[in-house]
Amino acid sequence: MRYDVTLQRCGLSAVFDLKGAADALRNWAGDMLPPLPDHPNTRTGGGGVELYHIGRKHWLARAPLAQEEVLEAQLKPDACPAEISIVRVSDTLSFFRITGPDASQVMAIACPLDLHETVFGADAVTYSELFGLKALVLRCEGGFECAVEQSFGDMVEDYLTLSCRQKPV
Amino acid sequence: MRLSSRLTTGGRINRDRPLRFRFNGKDYQGFDGDTLASALMANGVRVTARSFKYHRPRGIVGHGPEEPATLVQLEGEDAAGNCPATAVLLREGLSARSVNCWPSPGFDLGGVAQVLARFLPAGFYYKTFKWPGWHLFEPSIRKAAGLAPAPAQPPSSGHFEARRAHADVLIAGAGPAGLQAALEAGRAGKRVFLADEGSEAGGSLLNRTLSIGGRPALDWVANAVAELCGMENVTHLQNATVWAYREHNLLMVNERCPEQDSILERSWRVRAGEVVIATGASERAMVFGGNDRPGVMLAASVQAYVNRWGVAPGKRVALFTNNNSAYAVAADLAAAGLIVTAILDSRRHIPQAALDLVPDLPVHPATVAAGIFGHKRVRAVLAAPLSGDLAKWIRCDVLAHSGGWNPTVHLWSQSRSSLRYDEDLAAFLPDSAVQNCRAVGAAAGDLTLDRIVAGGADLPYAIEPLWRVDVPVQRGRAFLDIQNDVLVSDVHLALREGYANIEHVKRYTTGGMGVDQGKTGNINIIGTVAMQQGVPIEQIGTTTFRSPYTPVSFGAIAGLREGTVLLPYRHTPVTQWNVDNGAVMYEAGARWQRPGYFPKPGESLQEAVNRECRAVREAVGVYDGSPLGTFELKGRDVPRFLDFIYSNVMSSLKPGEGRYGLMLSDDGLILDDGVAFRLDDHRWLLSTSTGHADVVNQHMEKLLQTEFADWHAMITTVTSQWNNATICGPHARDVMQALGTDIDLSPQAFPFMSIRDGMVAGFPARVARVSFTGELSYEVNVAPRHLMALWNKVMEAGAPFAILPVGSESNHVLRVEKGFLSLGHEVDGTVDAYDLGMGWVMSKTKPDYLGKRAVMLRRAGGATRRELVGILPQDPNRQIPEGAPLTPAGCKEATEGLVTACVWSVVNQRWVGLALLENGHARQGETAHVRLQDEVIPVSITKPVFHDPDGTRLRS
Repeated sequence: MRYDVTLQRCGLSAVFDLKGAADALRNWAGDMLPPLPDHPNTRTGGGGVELYHIGRKHWLARAPLAQEEVLEAQLKPDACPAEISIVRVSDTLSFFRITGPDASQVMAIACPLDLHETVFGADAVTYSELFGLKALVLRCEGGFECAVEQSFGDMVEDYLTLSCRQKPV
Repeated sequence: MRLSSRLTTGGRINRDRPLRFRFNGKDYQGFDGDTLASALMANGVRVTARSFKYHRPRGIVGHGPEEPATLVQLEGEDAAGNCPATAVLLREGLSARSVNCWPSPGFDLGGVAQVLARFLPAGFYYKTFKWPGWHLFEPSIRKAAGLAPAPAQPPSSGHFEARRAHADVLIAGAGPAGLQAALEAGRAGKRVFLADEGSEAGGSLLNRTLSIGGRPALDWVANAVAELCGMENVTHLQNATVWAYREHNLLMVNERCPEQDSILERSWRVRAGEVVIATGASERAMVFGGNDRPGVMLAASVQAYVNRWGVAPGKRVALFTNNNSAYAVAADLAAAGLIVTAILDSRRHIPQAALDLVPDLPVHPATVAAGIFGHKRVRAVLAAPLSGDLAKWIRCDVLAHSGGWNPTVHLWSQSRSSLRYDEDLAAFLPDSAVQNCRAVGAAAGDLTLDRIVAGGADLPYAIEPLWRVDVPVQRGRAFLDIQNDVLVSDVHLALREGYANIEHVKRYTTGGMGVDQGKTGNINIIGTVAMQQGVPIEQIGTTTFRSPYTPVSFGAIAGLREGTVLLPYRHTPVTQWNVDNGAVMYEAGARWQRPGYFPKPGESLQEAVNRECRAVREAVGVYDGSPLGTFELKGRDVPRFLDFIYSNVMSSLKPGEGRYGLMLSDDGLILDDGVAFRLDDHRWLLSTSTGHADVVNQHMEKLLQTEFADWHAMITTVTSQWNNATICGPHARDVMQALGTDIDLSPQAFPFMSIRDGMVAGFPARVARVSFTGELSYEVNVAPRHLMALWNKVMEAGAPFAILPVGSESNHVLRVEKGFLSLGHEVDGTVDAYDLGMGWVMSKTKPDYLGKRAVMLRRAGGATRRELVGILPQDPNRQIPEGAPLTPAGCKEATEGLVTACVWSVVNQRWVGLALLENGHARQGETAHVRLQDEVIPVSITKPVFHDPDGTRLRS
């Protein structure tokens, strides 16, 4: 019996790494970004952009790849003040989607984190591990989304194929 | 097929579903629900194994994981070694073989060891076989005393799986106490993980005929299981052993026979808020002469075979006990139609409640079993009154014995929680918990059902410990540890030789080791030591309980990690192109799969490397430099941070400039080498070695988070945001121009050690002029999404210049020719910058930087240092193995250095090398000697550079 899941290796997203004090970042970004999440390891969204609070004074802004140039032009990574750091990192992450009735079972193989809905809610996002690799983990409709360092993408695809006995689409 | 010992009724087996199986090459039949042990017993197979050391005939002793005697090797699809026959569920076509005997357990040539037994006491191999060396004898001794080999082939189908789970409560054991705890937690809405090693829930209730609330206890079990099944918050696994208790309530569970057909075994790593240990209790053996003969069985196991599997282990059963539980066994056996010939009880005063259970059976108080008549089967037991009256033989074909009950405290103890000795129960019980766990039921010392479940009816437990039978008429060898053939006399010998501590006794005798981990015998060893030393048993203590509780296959532990994902691997966007173009790929640091070289058909490694090196030296080459660690640093304090972590000055760089530098560790040794570029006033780009990228990242983050928390510097890893094609060689500029770029490539506008942003071949690029080959080089960094397209354009633009892709092997040659250091070769964790002739990189102007003080202190000591030199074999065609030692005059003396690299130099047309040599800098022009096993190779000591010593080409 195979797990009842759909595996998907996603294409690139526009991703920007944001660091610095929240006020300084807010002052620079203005309304180009959604409101900063109130709590660590949660996310907000708006205007097609999601904002992940993934560490102390550390966020990821994510949007469809089509918005990358616009976001870059608005956020001006090269021109932002010394107090904050904005770096385009769209290519550094390989995203995977694991959806379907058995998604949590596959995630239990891949990830050591407690992803039960009472612990890891709909707006949760965090760095954890995927098959022993540092990975971004969040919920998506019908399952989970994970991202690993791009160079490990083939290996994670390999692992997911072995876990589910089916190749990601 | 006749099942000679199967009872006509009873048992929790499906008699409508017969199963065929093979054992030691013979065909048998059992039923669904049988274990291999119960099926063998039903077929009248009594000699099922040979013992580990003496090759004595052995039969089945227990009925669960405590089984010490009958280990089998499974064959075919189930191939596995050293499985207790009592834990192997029968299935159609199962094939098993006894271990440690040849040709069969019934006739074993190794049985000759029994004749030599008196010469083979515990630790005999420590005292004999010493000359000329133990290793001469070790293989044959291990073979003679071996267990089953590991399967030669992996399973032909199916796979293993490892996964995690999280629970508010993990309950180990689904006996009455475990089920009760699961019901309570489940009804309270907690996330419950219930795991039980048996094939069905119920624990000891499956083996007994007890009642709860006036109804069969198994009805209560069925109701409990049904209720748990209806709770979404409960995960209930059978055939799942909790085999290890780690820190922070992390427990390991091995699930055999998961529901998915394709999964052979599943390993669970469960993190629990609370752990409930409901692992029950194990019956312990009595220690008396002949207690290992086939037919001598644990009393509760005889009861289990009768009640659970509908098998009569014998027709005439005698019992030997020191506690009440054997009386319930006797009653059940009599009810099943077996003849109970005697109950020998070592106690003088037997509780009336026990006697009331067996009003018509012959009970012999204050009497012990002192010997067994029979070799491959029990024919009679010698009943010896403790009064000294005449001992007499009592006919029987099974002796069922019970030495009392040990709460199964393995998991409790593994959690590092403490134990205490309970005088009344004569057993070690859970005491203080270290982690958030509690023991319940028999594991906590509640050995009767009435103490566990309301309404449970059971015989009160009472025991007078008897650690071993010690009467003058005793006959035969008395075994404390059946699995490891440890005798009472072995323990006495260990004590005589001064191994008084129980841990030492264990190691000297091997008692308590092995697959069963002494489940039936450990406490008897402790008791025997206590008796011999004349001290209370609690003063002896226990040995350390270790995981696994029962054997776990390596496959289950590894889970999916096999085959292609056995080791992690990383790819760049060019990896597939490399493979398609015939590259020999292998890991080259930090899990990156990189091309070693690109051989043409029929070309050797050396020929391919020479061709690639010539391309770089004479024309142009390109390599994929994407794996180099790359970090973007931002903040006002980045300049002083870089000045602290690099040994030279970085803060003086202007935007667009870069500088090579060394990072030192606290102890002044070289952590990494790399290049820092200043992008603008507050933005910097660091390039590190591939292998140390993660280490450098952690190093910087640690400093910023601990030492300089108030400094304003932020680090972003961009290794995979900027992949690069490095174009190197005299025609590199030509290729760049052919690609098309808006960057001014002239040496004046774009000099060595600078960085420029622009468009290259139509892609946004960041181009750095650095060189790891000693040639004119452009490191063209683009987003990975563009790298493959860029790569194709580079190959196309470079074609007129005879461009070649270059692998790691050629890079190694090219850097050795230039004398560029390599981490892991010249930088081996012992050298500093001065040793490498790089004193210039140690700043004289900065007041301080990381590692400076350590370097200065060490060098102030004046000790002789190994310094980097070049070496030229005096025979130019002589290759020297990398790592070869240099000794004074080539003599057999302590080494004075080693060869760190030796390559065929295409520009010098000879072998050249680098070495770390004592006082090497002062010895240039002299001859040193490489000492190999059969040869001494003289080498001339030179400067460590063999090509373009002034760096004209790389700055061109």
